Amino acid sequence: MIDIGSLALALGLVLAAYAVVMSLVGALRRRRDLVASAEHAAYAVWGLTVIAVAYLLQLLVTHDFNVEYVAAYSSSTLPLNYTITALWGGQQGSLLFWLLILTSITSVVLLQNRERNRDLMPYVTAVLMIVSVFFLLMLNFITPPFQRLAFTPAEGRDLNPLLQNYWMQIHPPSLYLGYVGCAVPFAFAMAALITGKLGDVWIRTTRRWTLFAWFFLTLGNLFGAEWAYLVLGWGGYWAWDPVENAAFMPWLTCTALLHSVMIQEKKNMLKVWNMVLVILTFLLTIFGTFLTRSGVISSVHSFTQSGLGPFFIGFLALMSALSIGLLVWRLPLLKSENELDSLISRESTFLFNNLVLVGIAFAVFWGTVFPVISEAVRGVKITVGPPFFNKVNAPLGLILLFLTGVGPLIAWRRAGWKSIQRNLLPPLAVGFVSGVVMVGAGMRSYWALIAFPTGIFVLTGIVMEYYRGVRARQAVVGENPLRALFRLIAKNRRRYGGYIIHVGVVMAFFAITGTSIFKQEKQITVSVGQSFPMGSYTLRYEGIEQQSTPHIDYLRAKVAVLENGKQVDLLKPEKRFYKKPQQPTTEVAIRSTLGADLYTVLGSFDQDTKLATLQVYINPLVSFLWYGGLVMALGTAIVIWPGGVKSREPAYAPRRAGERVVAD
Amino acid sequence: MTRKKRFLIGAALLVGAVTYLVYAGVRESSVYYLTIDEFLHKKATLVDEGVRVAGRVKDGSVAKKTSPTGTELQFVLTDFNKSDGVKVFYTGILPDMFAEGRDVIVEGKYARDGILRAQSVMTSCPSKYEAEADKTGAGGPAS
Repeated sequence: MIDIGSLALALGLVLAAYAVVMSLVGALRRRRDLVASAEHAAYAVWGLTVIAVAYLLQLLVTHDFNVEYVAAYSSSTLPLNYTITALWGGQQGSLLFWLLILTSITSVVLLQNRERNRDLMPYVTAVLMIVSVFFLLMLNFITPPFQRLAFTPAEGRDLNPLLQNYWMQIHPPSLYLGYVGCAVPFAFAMAALITGKLGDVWIRTTRRWTLFAWFFLTLGNLFGAEWAYLVLGWGGYWAWDPVENAAFMPWLTCTALLHSVMIQEKKNMLKVWNMVLVILTFLLTIFGTFLTRSGVISSVHSFTQSGLGPFFIGFLALMSALSIGLLVWRLPLLKSENELDSLISRESTFLFNNLVLVGIAFAVFWGTVFPVISEAVRGVKITVGPPFFNKVNAPLGLILLFLTGVGPLIAWRRAGWKSIQRNLLPPLAVGFVSGVVMVGAGMRSYWALIAFPTGIFVLTGIVMEYYRGVRARQAVVGENPLRALFRLIAKNRRRYGGYIIHVGVVMAFFAITGTSIFKQEKQITVSVGQSFPMGSYTLRYEGIEQQSTPHIDYLRAKVAVLENGKQVDLLKPEKRFYKKPQQPTTEVAIRSTLGADLYTVLGSFDQDTKLATLQVYINPLVSFLWYGGLVMALGTAIVIWPGGVKSREPAYAPRRAGERVVAD
Repeated sequence: MTRKKRFLIGAALLVGAVTYLVYAGVRESSVYYLTIDEFLHKKATLVDEGVRVAGRVKDGSVAKKTSPTGTELQFVLTDFNKSDGVKVFYTGILPDMFAEGRDVIVEGKYARDGILRAQSVMTSCPSKYEAEADKTGAGGPAS
């Protein structure tokens, strides 16, 4: 007997295909009724997906272990919150969850555009539903989530203990929201190409969606990093694993896009480039899902293993061919209406920023797929590890950081020497002086001596911009500084929110520099009572604590943290031994301060000799990454917040434009 | 036009820099990625090379020695058919998913004495638990 979930997915596939065909036919024949019918079908697909998801959740919560998925990823003792997150703990559930987000977003887009963009919408619907069809095909034929077993196991195999973590509850949803969000600008871009309405309507319509996607991609990456940091226990947060790269690449191209659309809006340039970025970002999200779900790269025996691989490759090829074909067909209509005025201008800074971002994305892509390429070309699988990514991306990242500082300070069109003197030189001087101070304080690492002063240069520039904006308002409107600051941001959220995002980016750079250059690491085997120095601390091993529950055996090392001879903390890094499935997990213990994290791991414990092996790290500035992420989120929220004064600076307004803002 | 040219020169410089960095990076940090089968086949040619080998931890082969100088771990990385293998030495923290009978990836240097000295031992990322579950289902007693 067919269950309601499978039925919903089968019906969903039919309706999604129907929506694709009807919206295209409706658009070509100018039949509003068909277009409307297609949209209704799209809503119905959403409803059916909700039913399928609800059904899977019900199976999980009621512990129906006859269902393969439930038996594989949950157990009767798994806490409720993790039972629910088991929805995306495995392959089938993840894909179903992807589809849920995609169809939800599709419905929101349709609702938003009931009265708007009617000429574009049929194609938007068609493109989004093509993606739905793809996921529904997988869910129906390759990875059906509701497969039943021939017998009913008494107990499930449980969710991997490593995934039983707070950050793993919010990391996948954020990332998927980011991934799927990128499909919206893509769909509008395709619609614009097909209809030939290539003005900036599609860009304006999708600006918020691009930001939305970027917001969640940022959070998704950060939550993943936080999870890796807390759970994997190797002292770091980023290892250039293919799965991480998969999430990072679309973030890079999306960041590039957010900057380059500004040039199209203001100067009607870069139309082709923006199309390329939209297409690239979307393809990278699909590629990312593919990398994560199929394990092509990390498994040595290539991807014939899962039927998913060829299917994804096929879809990627199809979408690339379609989108690039459309782009080439419309090239004549995508002529730039302007030219670059000068190399020393904000436009060209943005262009270089774009090149660097795409360059980084390319390097990451190349490093990630290198094993596959080398196998195809030379017959041997060769892999490049983290050193490759660090070597390539460190210089590129620093160029990017520098451009982050230059961009907002340099004039549009052409920056004269006067304006450079006035805007760029002061923060550059501050950065330089900070570098001299750091040398004086004994810092000798070249990388750090480039990264920190550059970051300080960027921050100074931002503070200066705020200061000038506030002063201008005070002079003109006579507000008090706080109110002026508030109004300044409210009146031009896009600009001043953007600056806040930049502050977050600088903080992240500080964290990355701190952890990659000044990290200290020590592995030590200690007996009870033994102490050893670590950074400015002295650590003393105080013995082991053992605890046993029906599900987990605990082994906890007690490590006293002393500073200047006084105990300031007691850390308890822990090893857990889950009994079912039998698997140990490492629970790190961290003493976190703004300056640095003291990160301790219990490596092993020997029952006979009572010796414990500890792995200890000092991670300077790592907390700046998490706070920087918060700052970026805050900045994005300011930019994206609906309503308010929708204001844009005229393209060539004078620089102190605080008051000269005009509404569109 | 000269403005455009100047920009193009800048862009070309950047593209060149990226290309160079990628090229140099690959040359300096690439290691062979082999299955244990392939590795055993041509291990004689791999002495002192950086390698990354995927194989299975042989049942009953894991020995751990904790001494005041540190924890040293030895195990045998075997062929998937468990016929032949290579001895691995490793000092460091093991990933949680490491266990006998599990598939792991060992990165390190293969020395003349026939021992693969590992810099790192990796297990599959838990987001690919899928494959893991399949293996336990097919390979051995599932927990």
